[in-house]
Amino acid sequence: MSPNNPSTIVSDAVARHHTHVVSPHQCCSAVVQEIAAPVSTVWSVVRRFDNPQAYKHFVKSCHVILGDGDVGTLREVRVISGLPAAVSTERLDVLDDERHVIGFSMVGGDHRLSNYRSVTILHPRSATDTVVVESYVVDVPAGNTTEDTRVFVDTILRCNLQSLAKFAENLTNKLHQR
Amino acid sequence: MAGICCGVVGEGDTPAPLEPTTRPSRRRSLDILPLKYIADMAVPPSDGSRKRPKLDLRDRDNVVQNCDESTGHKVVKKEAKVEIHDNISETKNVTVADASEVEDSPKFGVTSVCGRRRDMEDSVSVRPSFTQGFHYFGVFDGHGCSHVATMCKERLHEIVNEEIDSARENLEWKLTMENGFARMDDEVNRRSQSNQTFTCRCELQTPHCDAVGSTAVVAIVTPDKLVVSNCGDSRAVLCRKGVAIPLSSDHKPDRPDELLRVQSKGGRVIYWDGPRVLGVLAMSRAIGDNYLKPYVISEPEVTVTERTEEDECLILASDGLWDVVSNETACGVVRMCLKAQKPPSPPGSPGSDVAADGSDRACSDASILLTKLALARHSSDNVSVVVVDLRRDQRQSSNSN
Repeated sequence: MSPNNPSTIVSDAVARHHTHVVSPHQCCSAVVQEIAAPVSTVWSVVRRFDNPQAYKHFVKSCHVILGDGDVGTLREVRVISGLPAAVSTERLDVLDDERHVIGFSMVGGDHRLSNYRSVTILHPRSATDTVVVESYVVDVPAGNTTEDTRVFVDTILRCNLQSLAKFAENLTNKLHQR
Repeated sequence: MAGICCGVVGEGDTPAPLEPTTRPSRRRSLDILPLKYIADMAVPPSDGSRKRPKLDLRDRDNVVQNCDESTGHKVVKKEAKVEIHDNISETKNVTVADASEVEDSPKFGVTSVCGRRRDMEDSVSVRPSFTQGFHYFGVFDGHGCSHVATMCKERLHEIVNEEIDSARENLEWKLTMENGFARMDDEVNRRSQSNQTFTCRCELQTPHCDAVGSTAVVAIVTPDKLVVSNCGDSRAVLCRKGVAIPLSSDHKPDRPDELLRVQSKGGRVIYWDGPRVLGVLAMSRAIGDNYLKPYVISEPEVTVTERTEEDECLILASDGLWDVVSNETACGVVRMCLKAQKPPSPPGSPGSDVAADGSDRACSDASILLTKLALARHSSDNVSVVVVDLRRDQRQSSNSN
């Protein structure tokens, strides 16, 4: 599924990353966020697989348990209290610095998101603006509907990307003041 | 749980502070629980009542301890010593312009323990005589992090005090408390929107903490009224002549009127490990949690209850207690502790000081016993309990119950 955003130029090579294989009992969706910051600034935050808590507010802490930041790296993410999850073990599947693509999957942990895979792509809209698209596919848990699952995951991702926007914009402002 | 209850009765008229038994079986079961008691001492009212009180160093240490513990891999199994801070000091009587009768601050007991969770995110605030003979008790159960609950502990009573002052002649409790909670929520959210980095003594070091919040259940005890304001799923229960009367109603997302309110705002309640707003938060009202507005609001439900001679005690606690202990059981436990108290001697007799101390110890015993009961029933959360003795003429009471 490609995002329907006429202001975004999506090359075929990049669009392929948003094409998920969706099985029965799975759902997929995408969240889009515009950020008033250069793509290089946003990417410097997003690509840090070892430091998701810089902008993901539901992450309490993160520890790399295998690898050094390249594809195949495994991290264990501890989630803040009050949420229906405790720990998530995640694998870095895609890291393309040239095309600004990062993807990961959840391979274990204490949560209800089985077979979760997501891809995040940054699109430079101008020298000072970036569009972030994060798409995902995940199993629909027993007892929930596709709509339930989509509302839950979209809420988390939307919150993450809004935090990313604030963080990157603050970073940009600091760089200008320097 | 009969063993725990019988233990108190068996100890006679004046129960000693609860100590773990020496029997190996009891010790082994207790060793499993990482007990960390934080018994909070009342903060005496200062002359500058509106001035922000200094941060309690002991609290700072406790928070730091929690951080250290959460980063370590070792599970602390040995039982920490139980700290009991009885409220022995006399409260200064204040002069009130309207010449209403000034009541001494009621006796109370407080416990607040981490329990089985990795982090301590509960806070308790006790402010005897925080304004014109009113007494303030608050329990705040944080989620996501501890700093919203800590802010509530440090600031909400000051904000409420200002609201009471500004409504001096026309005090309307519902409006006053709603304004106080709204201002507290604004303060929390203004802080999370601030660009400046603040130091929160926990692993979260990000300046934007929209996903942090807290419950708030606050009781104001006046000479003739009990004013309870609740936001979230902590709870206040009155024990009157042996009957448990809830003074608050938990804001669970599947409570029918809360479900309708969330839906009317365009939100959804999704069952994801229980009912949650958007599948994320297990309560429908909270201080903070800006990212879930307007579905999760900070407006408290306020109840005003006339005090009667039959009132025995008031219990405020987080859901770490109420999830595993019913209102009736909690009232029964507290009632038993108050009854076990030695009848006070007449004023002026040599034993009067002991009696006063014993009365307060009963409340502490009650809060400790309730906390231990919650942990024994495998509560999986922080547990915070405040027990307030509401009996009138305590020094002349014949203990007829």
